[in-house]
Amino acid sequence: MTKDQKTLTDESKRKFVKGLALLVGSTAATAFLTTKSMSVALAHTIESEKTIAVEPLTDGKVFSLNQLKQLKSICAIVIPKTDTLGAAEVNTHGFIDNQLFHCYDKSAQEKAKQLLSLINVVAEKVFSQSFIALKQTQQFELLTELDLGIKNFSSTERQDFKLLKQLICFGYYTSEVGASQELRYLAVPGGYKGSIAYEKTDASWGSQGLYY
Amino acid sequence: MSENLYINKSNEVYDAIVIGSGISGGWAAKEFCERGLKTLMIERGRVVEHQKDYIGENKAPWQQPLRTKVDNLLVKEQHQIQQQCYAFTDATKHFFGNDKDLPYTTAKNTNFTWIRANQLGGKSLLWHRQSYRLGDYDFAANKSDGFGNDWPIRHKDIDKWYSHVEKHAGISGSKDNLENLPDGEFLPPFEMNSPEKVLQAKFAELYPDRPLIMGRTAHLTKPTKLHLSQGRVQCQARDECQAGCSFGSYFSTQSSTLPAAAATNNLHIAPNSVVHSLIYDEKTNRVKGVRIIDNDDLSEREYFAKVVFVCASTIGSTQILMNSISKKFPNGIANSSGVLGHYLMDHNYNAGASGDIEGFEDEIDKGRRPTGLIMPNFYYKPDAKRNFLRGYALAGRAYREGWQSIQHQDGLGVEYKNKLKQAGKWRFGLYAQGEMLPRFENKMSLHPTLKDKWGMPQIEFDCHFSDNETNMMIDAAEQAEKMLKAVGLNNVQSRVMHGPPGLAIHELGTARMGRDAKTSILNAYNQSHDIPNLFVTDGASFCSSAVQNPSLTFMALTVRAVDYCVKEMNAKRI
Ligand SMILES: Cc1cc2nc3c(=O)[nH]c(=O)nc-3n(C[C@H](O)[C@H](O)[C@H](O)COP(=O)(O)OP(=O)(O)OC[C@H]3O[C@@H](n4cnc5c(N)ncnc54)[C@H](O)[C@@H]3O)c2cc1C
Ligand code: SF4
Repeated sequence: MTKDQKTLTDESKRKFVKGLALLVGSTAATAFLTTKSMSVALAHTIESEKTIAVEPLTDGKVFSLNQLKQLKSICAIVIPKTDTLGAAEVNTHGFIDNQLFHCYDKSAQEKAKQLLSLINVVAEKVFSQSFIALKQTQQFELLTELDLGIKNFSSTERQDFKLLKQLICFGYYTSEVGASQELRYLAVPGGYKGSIAYEKTDASWGSQGLYY
Repeated sequence: MSENLYINKSNEVYDAIVIGSGISGGWAAKEFCERGLKTLMIERGRVVEHQKDYIGENKAPWQQPLRTKVDNLLVKEQHQIQQQCYAFTDATKHFFGNDKDLPYTTAKNTNFTWIRANQLGGKSLLWHRQSYRLGDYDFAANKSDGFGNDWPIRHKDIDKWYSHVEKHAGISGSKDNLENLPDGEFLPPFEMNSPEKVLQAKFAELYPDRPLIMGRTAHLTKPTKLHLSQGRVQCQARDECQAGCSFGSYFSTQSSTLPAAAATNNLHIAPNSVVHSLIYDEKTNRVKGVRIIDNDDLSEREYFAKVVFVCASTIGSTQILMNSISKKFPNGIANSSGVLGHYLMDHNYNAGASGDIEGFEDEIDKGRRPTGLIMPNFYYKPDAKRNFLRGYALAGRAYREGWQSIQHQDGLGVEYKNKLKQAGKWRFGLYAQGEMLPRFENKMSLHPTLKDKWGMPQIEFDCHFSDNETNMMIDAAEQAEKMLKAVGLNNVQSRVMHGPPGLAIHELGTARMGRDAKTSILNAYNQSHDIPNLFVTDGASFCSSAVQNPSLTFMALTVRAVDYCVKEMNAKRI
């Protein structure tokens, strides 16, 4: 377990215990809560101890090994590491490969692969190197052009990139780091409050019930 | 709880058989059991135990292999129809029907989305828990414009039964003192957030006859002693209800009616028992019992009782009646009137508008409130000036946008990540829940040749929205847009959609009540006009759809019917 992951586990455990305390305080009838509901809630902390392997070593279900490496560097540019881990560190590229395979159709998979090729073609054209070989600033510049659909990129290509960005965001903000460290995760909120103070620097809610 | 709650074979003649274990069946069983009658609840699906079988509950997205989504292959093979329901996710999918096993057809140029939940508890596990009484304008609607037959009851006939079910189920809401949306026995309402409070006040000022109120919902905001004694505790605002709730904080068969029924020791349950048809005795003109096909091995068996309550959900109940053929009833049992299967209705959820709310940047809400707000139907009084009959309610809520909306913006890197981390702007929308007229031509029938794997004839739907419903949705979009602009929202956009009936999941009609045995199936107590010991108490019995979510009324009609039935049995008329 890396240090980052260790803190993460402790953090979510603390959050859970806090949630539970709230719960116990809020009702006299906790005696009726079976071990089932407790163990259900506890499940969060057990899972999080799994270490995440992020370095692509083989071909994926949709992408080749090289494409996975390229996707990993795109993830790192779109949602970088700050004081929390970024999309690449939580294996969002691996997530996308798996998700595209199981939940999307062939045409979406093809589109994603074509987009990766396109990015490489433009990288070669402009910098005479493949995308992963570029400096991070160059990668950023190139993806920004794609994101805006300018210079070497068309508006259709821009739309395709928006879809990839959506997959990156979905993968990151439904990961444990994204949902519970970067954002705030409340498994058991203990009731609904219509209004609490919020400052611009506060994180938004990462917990959304059933619907992500 | 009796030791042998679940049975398979039995020669016993029960006092009552209840077909179905969903919202209606759960209530029927509870009420019979509490009156001391030996009751057999028959359910086609598997047993789902409270808490133990809520296998998707409280799982964070990262603990789900596809982060809440469902595998294409599984959807394609088993859930092509069910996946259209908003509540179909990885955490809930096992509570939805299997479309491969449960095929149905639709007439040419029509479409109908039939959502099913065939297990112990039925759709009570999956429902959204919105709970409203019908008002007198609703009960009188058919009579006043001539579409459909007159309801044989009014609010006063069912008032105390609404109260009875509200107290046990636990309905939260505010007393609003509205002319056509009667108040009930409420637990405290959920809180509004600040923008909602402000909008509520603005609506009150600009549209005094269009109040915006907190949604009434079957959640324990403040459990009573009764609820606590059943092991049900205060709602924690997770909004993960449809995965099942071990806190028992929302009403379901499992959390509420089943434990009460089982506590009497009068209840038995026959799971995995697909009712094929009713057994009819022409000599006595009574239903004697039911024919069963085993859900798993397709073997046949029978169960017997003095009375039979059909509570298999609107379509399920009528399917059973239609498949019960005898010399006296060649077109379906209890169908001397010939209207069985006709006047099928749903609600129409095909319009809405939304916009941005300025301000409130220094606050956010906390917890996931499992209900929104509602602007009850403001067209409940007939008015010839409108180009449609009946009306609609508008549902909505205010919320702060999160990464799901912000992700579409341009940007990358640290700046983008920080933007996604923050809460975005506040949004508010109003979405229509429209009434659908009862029309003879909207119907379900048994397919002449196609059967399902249990040998039951498949259902064919022939049902569509008419111009009346379409015109109503156009009006709803216009009104919603106009009002949202008037109360100061920005970037207001409205839309009208054209989804087919079914997806509001409020199937109603097909075995309607009525005063006249020649034009209806059931009397004012949900009792068959033709056969005294046969009752249908679910949505099939509805004469009109009104706009309210209907299940609270199924509950009230059911308990009222049981009360009547037991009195009739005691008086030896049944
Ligand atoms: C996602 C969703 C949201 C909803 N939201 C709301 C809401 O907010 N408010 C509201 O009022 N309503 C809502 N509904 C509708 C509500 O769930 C139904 O109206 C209600 O459950 C119907 O109750 P019922 O007992 O008649 O049928 P069900 O709950 O469907 O139960 C019928 C039972 O009968 C069984 N059955 C069927 N056929 C047979 C047979 N041949 N033999 C034996 N057993 C059989 C079924 O397996 C099932 O268990 C919603 C539904 C869904 C799916
Ligand atoms: S919102 Fe309330 S009822 Fe729904 S799952 Fe959470 S605690 Fe249970």
